[in-house]
Amino acid sequence: MDPILAVESGARRLSQAELDNTLRDLLGEDTAPASRLLNEDEFRPFDNDYTIQQASDALITSLEAMAEEVAARAVGDADRRAALVPCSPTDPGDAQCFREFLNSLLPRALRRSVTTEDVDSYMPFLDFATEDNPAVENDFYTAVKLAVSATIQDPEFLYRIEHGTPGSTPGLLELDGYEIASRMSYLLWTTMPDDTLFAAAEAGTLTTPEGRHAEATRMLEDPRARLQLHRFHAMWLGYRSIPHTAELVDAFNRETSALIDRVILDEPGSYLRLFTMDETFVDDALADHYGLPRPTGGEGWVSYEGTGRAGILGHGSLLAAFSKFEDTSPTQRGILVRTRLMCEDVPRPPPEVDVDQPPQGAMNAVCKYDRYAEHRDQSSSCAGCHSLTDPIGFGLENYDNAGRYREYDDGLPECIIEGKGEIVGVGEFSSPAELSQLLVDNEYVDACAVRQFMTFAWGRPPTTYEAELLTEMTDSFRGDAHDFKAFMLAFIASDRFARRAQERL
Amino acid sequence: MAAKINRRAVLRGIAGVTVALPWLECMIPARGRAQTFPTRYAILFAGQALGTDNYAQNSSRIGGQNVTEGGHFIADTSYGRGYALTTPLMPLQGMENDLSMVSNLAIPFNASSSDGSAVPTGGAYRDFHGGGSSPLLSGTRSTSASFTCNGITSDQVIADLNDGQTTFKSLVFRSQPSFYVSGYSFSGRQYISYGAGGGNGARIEAQASPQVAYRSLFQGFVPDDDDDAARFDFEMRSRRSVLDLVLEKRAKLVNNVGRADEERLERHFDEIRELENRIGALPPVTSGQCFVPPDPGADPSIGGDHDGGGTGSVTPGSGYSDEHTRSRIFADLIHMAFVCDLTRSASLQITVFQSHMNARPIADGLGTLPGTFRPARWASVGGDLHEVGHNGDPNNRGQIPSSGLLGWHISHYAYLIDKLRNTPEGGGSVLDNSAIVFTPEAGHGLQLNDASSQNQTHSVENMVILVAGRAGGLNPGAHIDGSRQHPVRVLVRAMQAAGYNGNSLGDVSGTIDL
Repeated sequence: MDPILAVESGARRLSQAELDNTLRDLLGEDTAPASRLLNEDEFRPFDNDYTIQQASDALITSLEAMAEEVAARAVGDADRRAALVPCSPTDPGDAQCFREFLNSLLPRALRRSVTTEDVDSYMPFLDFATEDNPAVENDFYTAVKLAVSATIQDPEFLYRIEHGTPGSTPGLLELDGYEIASRMSYLLWTTMPDDTLFAAAEAGTLTTPEGRHAEATRMLEDPRARLQLHRFHAMWLGYRSIPHTAELVDAFNRETSALIDRVILDEPGSYLRLFTMDETFVDDALADHYGLPRPTGGEGWVSYEGTGRAGILGHGSLLAAFSKFEDTSPTQRGILVRTRLMCEDVPRPPPEVDVDQPPQGAMNAVCKYDRYAEHRDQSSSCAGCHSLTDPIGFGLENYDNAGRYREYDDGLPECIIEGKGEIVGVGEFSSPAELSQLLVDNEYVDACAVRQFMTFAWGRPPTTYEAELLTEMTDSFRGDAHDFKAFMLAFIASDRFARRAQERL
Repeated sequence: MAAKINRRAVLRGIAGVTVALPWLECMIPARGRAQTFPTRYAILFAGQALGTDNYAQNSSRIGGQNVTEGGHFIADTSYGRGYALTTPLMPLQGMENDLSMVSNLAIPFNASSSDGSAVPTGGAYRDFHGGGSSPLLSGTRSTSASFTCNGITSDQVIADLNDGQTTFKSLVFRSQPSFYVSGYSFSGRQYISYGAGGGNGARIEAQASPQVAYRSLFQGFVPDDDDDAARFDFEMRSRRSVLDLVLEKRAKLVNNVGRADEERLERHFDEIRELENRIGALPPVTSGQCFVPPDPGADPSIGGDHDGGGTGSVTPGSGYSDEHTRSRIFADLIHMAFVCDLTRSASLQITVFQSHMNARPIADGLGTLPGTFRPARWASVGGDLHEVGHNGDPNNRGQIPSSGLLGWHISHYAYLIDKLRNTPEGGGSVLDNSAIVFTPEAGHGLQLNDASSQNQTHSVENMVILVAGRAGGLNPGAHIDGSRQHPVRVLVRAMQAAGYNGNSLGDVSGTIDL
């Protein structure tokens, strides 16, 4: 199957974040039970790589515990119970009301239209509602609770299983409206479709490019789309859990989120401004932290003029990512730029190298630049790989791991930081602003952003087979003046988004 | 609630449930049959080394002062019986005769080549953390730094041996719920149990929630009260009914998808089937010591991330999820699961490979946390567990800090042993019918990665394994010289004690007599 026509997809289990949000939207559950009771997701760098998901006894027992806990809470609270069951049962065995409840819950939970047969299979739960048993306090809601618990443990709820129907091209499967709705909502919102999106699925409008475009446009106006874009960037660029105080992390997140919102949603235009923006969003405390002028009104945009900063690479969030040994790591920052912004592979260090030890350099050199001397020594085996990374990191050394400007190594005034950097084979730079410009001018970040977004959207790394498709998508992104919102909308509106191919094994 | 399981209660629970006949024989008073008890095997794992970089075993720095003093390295004691309790062994005070310590163990490696293909049989790929797992736990050589065990692990050999005999084939628990390093994930460091053949497909996901583990183990017990039992029966029928509904969808879902999805979903449904089978299987009862332990309640909250570094970066509140309490609960659960013969195999990963758990809450808690000991010379140790090995705290480094934290890991081992030996079984104790292993991730000596630096934490030399119990003729109470033999030879002996008839694990044959 030509990947330009249809991309392979497999059954994807909801990530912790997706599961927590879905349970919130479906049942009003706001305790993030998946994050509490299921094992931590692996981030590669995204939390949704289905190719490494593997069901286990631990998963299944945790899911059962979670389902029972959530179901009990869903019927234990009067308001939530009323939201869940759209009728008042006349007696514990009120089959009509139970059907009404199932017809309300199941299509939303399973994210598809349901048949009478589907609903019938839940009806035996009513026996538990009507059983004459003095030992238990059973009623109509006993059956509701069991139905909710069964639904949460249903693989059709836990996974996004796409089928599709064969079209005119062999091997190509056309998704139905509900499958498309789920693709859209988990991509844009980290959660299940809302009623409007379900209605569009039912009406059949999502199988047309125009219908998807219209719905996606609406969805991008929802705050959940902003949160998802923040999440995507934080995982991609490695700053999702940076080690600073909660206040500082919060300020960094507000700064970076404001930039993301602005360049994608609030002032659609070139996404490259994420890297080149000449101002940043801070409050007084963060302005003081950076040594920038305070904004008017306590919070707002201030100019980067006179600083070496630009865009997201000037933010504390990104400058804190990939730090090591309680300091910045020129090597790790180089790896970040190479792998996450240039989408290149950096070879693993040879096993003889103990990456848990900071470089010492000859005679236990004092200054950091000298301690990395061996990495630069062309006669050593280190230089081959470290020339890929360290010269990039040293160009950012004037910015510490909290994003503050510094002229010398921490606590060592004799160690003046030159701050000169180079992407070997590409060009030299000496600040985040110049690095960003280099990455933009040499067409690294746009191509890489597309690859990262598709990795996230497809829930797996792109295959070499799909390289041609990525090139095509990058070309359209460029042809559309790097408008990321337009890019996302075009991707969702494309025929490819409404199709799939079976995985090759 | 401590509901004792008695004959009356169990019989009442039989209604509607198929019960295998051999189980009923367990209800016959002991004097009516031969006195045989199941043998149990457990392995507890600590993600740390026995010492730190560039500090000899008698060398430390405490509160900024250099100290030269013996008695802190775990095996700094004479061989034979009457061995001394060194700093990390202090929690085992009074249990010296219940366990043996084998020291001076070593995993082979190729000092002249770091190529994956050059790794010797049963040996370690020369990248310490990821290369050490397979030879240590499965006796199978590693050829990359992937952490993956290339063969079955010892606990799963015993699990296979007892398959079908108990409600749970094995228990696989992990106390450290999060990797804690900003921007990174466990990536294989969270597995110490692998099924037949090893490899990523055979890795066994540990249960990291004590709350779920408790529920899974003990909600199957029939309460000893008529009303409670009726309610229990109702709940069990409800649970089965829910799982039945899910399982009924199996064919329809699985037959409708491609091969890759079919495999994923089959695996998911297989696990649900296993769960449902366990609900049907009432736990057998072997002694009057078996009862439902108190509910541990909600899990301690999970700590945040840090940069995986030393004192300055591992801040209070990050990197710690009360692994102390979590480990104690898991030990309680393993104990009672053994007593009730719910399983005969367990693994507990207290901390993961290359653990970045915050060391400070542990360091500060030594001597205060029940069952732990504060070394005579001690100061709060900063940084994470991994960085303690690399001396991330400038003022507190070397042998004593490392041994203090190893002692914390061993306190959980001691806690489990103490509970097992205080639980009567036949004329002795449950410990008499058990083999309980403790192994840290690393030894201390020549660095595996560069094969030249001495006194290093990334070492597979000078490794130590503890084995407690008297199952299968184990004769505990000694400190034994391993003479640079493979640590898996100790595991094989412990496995034999737990009923294993073979004489090898992975590439490693032979045993060290215990």
